[in-house]
Amino acid sequence: MTKTLKKFMLIIIFIMLLLVSCSDTSSQLHKTDKSYKVSMIVKMDSGAFWNTVKMGAEIAAKEYNVELTFLGPDSEDDIEEQIRLVNGAILKKTDAIILSAGDYMKLAQVTDRAGFHKIPVLSMDTEVASARVKTYIGTNNYEAGQKAAERLIELMHGEGQIGLVSFVKGARNADERASGMLDYIARFPKVEVVDTVYCGSNVQLAANLTNEMIRKYPHIKGIIALNEIAGIGVSQEVSRLGLGGKVKIVTFDSPPEVMEMLQEGIVQGTVIQNPYSNGYLAVKHAVEVLEGIHVPERVDTGSKLIDLDNMLWPENQKQLFPFVR
Amino acid sequence: MITVVVVLLVSLLLYNKFVKSAEDNAYLNIQQIIDQVNSHLELYVKGMQDIYEVVEQQIGQTGNISDSLLKEQLTTLLHTREDLVSLALFTPDGQMVLDVPDETMRRNTQLKEQSWYQTALKQPQTVSFSQPHIQNLYKGQYKWVVSLSRMITYKQDGVLKKGILLVDVNFRTIDELSSKVSLGKKGYAYIIDDAGNIIYHPQQQLIYAGLKYENIEPVFDYAFGSYIDYSTKDERYITIRTVKPIGWKIVGVAYPNEIVTTKRDLQVFLTWFLVVVITVVLLISIYVSAKISQPIRRLEKAVKQVGQGDFNTPIDVKGAYEVVQLSKRFNLMLHQTRQLMSQIIVEQEAKRKSELDVLQAQINPHFLYNTLNSVIRLVERGEKEEVVTAITSLSKLFRISLSKGMNMITLGEELEHVRHYLIIQKIRYKSKFNYTMDVQDEALSCITLKLIIQPIVENAIYHGIELMPDEGSIAIAVKVEGDSVVISVTDNGLGMSEEVMSQLLTGSVKNTSGSGVGVKNVHERIQLYYGEAYGLTFMSELEEGTTVFITLPVVRNDHHVVNMEGDV
Repeated sequence: MTKTLKKFMLIIIFIMLLLVSCSDTSSQLHKTDKSYKVSMIVKMDSGAFWNTVKMGAEIAAKEYNVELTFLGPDSEDDIEEQIRLVNGAILKKTDAIILSAGDYMKLAQVTDRAGFHKIPVLSMDTEVASARVKTYIGTNNYEAGQKAAERLIELMHGEGQIGLVSFVKGARNADERASGMLDYIARFPKVEVVDTVYCGSNVQLAANLTNEMIRKYPHIKGIIALNEIAGIGVSQEVSRLGLGGKVKIVTFDSPPEVMEMLQEGIVQGTVIQNPYSNGYLAVKHAVEVLEGIHVPERVDTGSKLIDLDNMLWPENQKQLFPFVR
Repeated sequence: MITVVVVLLVSLLLYNKFVKSAEDNAYLNIQQIIDQVNSHLELYVKGMQDIYEVVEQQIGQTGNISDSLLKEQLTTLLHTREDLVSLALFTPDGQMVLDVPDETMRRNTQLKEQSWYQTALKQPQTVSFSQPHIQNLYKGQYKWVVSLSRMITYKQDGVLKKGILLVDVNFRTIDELSSKVSLGKKGYAYIIDDAGNIIYHPQQQLIYAGLKYENIEPVFDYAFGSYIDYSTKDERYITIRTVKPIGWKIVGVAYPNEIVTTKRDLQVFLTWFLVVVITVVLLISIYVSAKISQPIRRLEKAVKQVGQGDFNTPIDVKGAYEVVQLSKRFNLMLHQTRQLMSQIIVEQEAKRKSELDVLQAQINPHFLYNTLNSVIRLVERGEKEEVVTAITSLSKLFRISLSKGMNMITLGEELEHVRHYLIIQKIRYKSKFNYTMDVQDEALSCITLKLIIQPIVENAIYHGIELMPDEGSIAIAVKVEGDSVVISVTDNGLGMSEEVMSQLLTGSVKNTSGSGVGVKNVHERIQLYYGEAYGLTFMSELEEGTTVFITLPVVRNDHHVVNMEGDV
């Protein structure tokens, strides 16, 4: 009898342990239930712009309990590496992918593949040619291009030659900025875009290309640099050549180097986007997509033209210098 | 059921208590964290003010502002503190008089538009702390600084002049200090100045971009304290402390629903705990009650069976100790009952048999025939009186021996019966013996079985006296000795050997003659009715005679006493 009693007790203890362990695991499940794995794959894993994006994304990740993986190739024109990264994210069965496509067309296929694996893809900063994309979060690049062109033409008093230093051929945001700019310039018959070059997000290359351009077109009155790397290269070269103020420069984004050039009067204006908001909203909307909440098709995080006059406005300072050093 | 209720109650109490103390602890913890940040900041600000004063003093002591010694001293001072970015003195119209370190100024500094410059002009007396801003004066990195500025006096070539002293302190220390504050998972701390400008906020950019909103207004009502803010979707626990020297407010924001998460965890745990405990309790109680009730039910069944008359099935119930004991006892009881019953059966049979014997004795045809023969002889001899005596005695004898079918009669009646028997026998044996009766009056009213003395007397006559050549005598004596009545029947006949005596009561001596109610029968009847303490005992010696003692309990019956008096 005592034997059966012991057996009975053992069974009860076993059941208790089982239930207790069950309760533990279930509560953990409860937590992981809400924690999503989101991969953010950007064009480049360095640079002030992308670091700011990352900062915003991390804030959102903390707020929405997201396990965020921030990835990017070493260089902005390494499209193959970016495709590999997206494939890796698909293999790792991440819950959602936030993609800033280095190439509008080349990343379309892998985006479709993610869609096939039921992984939602959100475009951030730069669009990709895929219907699978849930939403686009970023600057209206066409508008930003127009803003840059408007300021440059103002600075050139409505006439003269303009050079264009873009970054990667095929990058959607570069193309949109360029077309916005060209469309605006088209209204001014005395303004002529004489050259367009691609620096591949390489400062040295940008400087060299600028040098070539200025030598080729000595009367050039203005240069538009379409991203921060191009801006740094162009302004450094113009400064080196002692043409500061004579060749007007309007650029994009606000790395410290560009800000310095702005204060020194070599760069006259820069169109800044809102990388922090891009990163933050991208993660936020990714969570919303995963939770089945409807997200708008396009989220414009805005753009702003910064010049010497407004660069020290308190609300601009934080945006221009996101990192406290 | 009670256990379940108790468990529920206890866990509910525990839960409430636990949640309350967890909440209190969490709030206290938050306040302590903010307090700590506050004291750190106060200390830091105080340190900066001290440095400012030192710089001011050194400038004040120096006769000429362009003294290279002063510059050296200030450079050393700058290097002692890592977070000092720069020291500079400007004239009220924005010309630089002194700067440490010796860096090239940038162009387009717009310093007259900067807040530290303007506040120094507006409030020349106190050292003002600016909002954190980008220091754009010197080449090199753009740094976030907090500017300390005031209008001071300095001497240039011995001439007293007014100027604005600017000390820029790196904002990084404050930023790091504040960003490290974590209140729960989502909670944070932010700092605003006395005008409501954000000094530090982890989501400052989102607020500027309009993606976030911080409800600052109620914060102004407090310099120190805590409240719950319901302005946002999630309620928030706000703790406010003021950095006294500069009026900045540190605001801790915590989300009570995070505490609620621990509450929910606790709920989940408790629910599971309860489910487990209740299940276990139920299982155990079911098991235990089954363990106890099942054998009891079996016991009940067995008892019912016994009740229906089946005494032969022993109960074999296993289970708890008590139940086993119960069934053992019951079995024992059953066994005893069974024994008693068989005993009763045996006794009843014996009784019935002896009663039958008595009945036979009542109308012993042999005795009647002998007596009647004697009477006939008396009649032939014409002894009328003797005949009357004989018939009267016979009739009385029969009356008493029948005695309305009752088994019990008084000792008086019994002795009466014996007397009549002796009278008849005396007639029969032509006075071959004498008899005496010595009876205590006390004993007359005692109740006795009937026909117990007569068979003894009969024996005495047939076996003791009949074969004697001389005249025999029979003495009957009745005495009350304590609780018992002793009747002795003594004859002076042949007597008997020890051997015969010992066999008398075991029934191995067969007696064919006589009334048929043997000595053994008398003995058995007495023992059946009164127990083994009573019965017959013998005393005998060959050629001397025999005494038979009949021992009976004293049983009195008033009813019988009355009856007897009427009869005698």
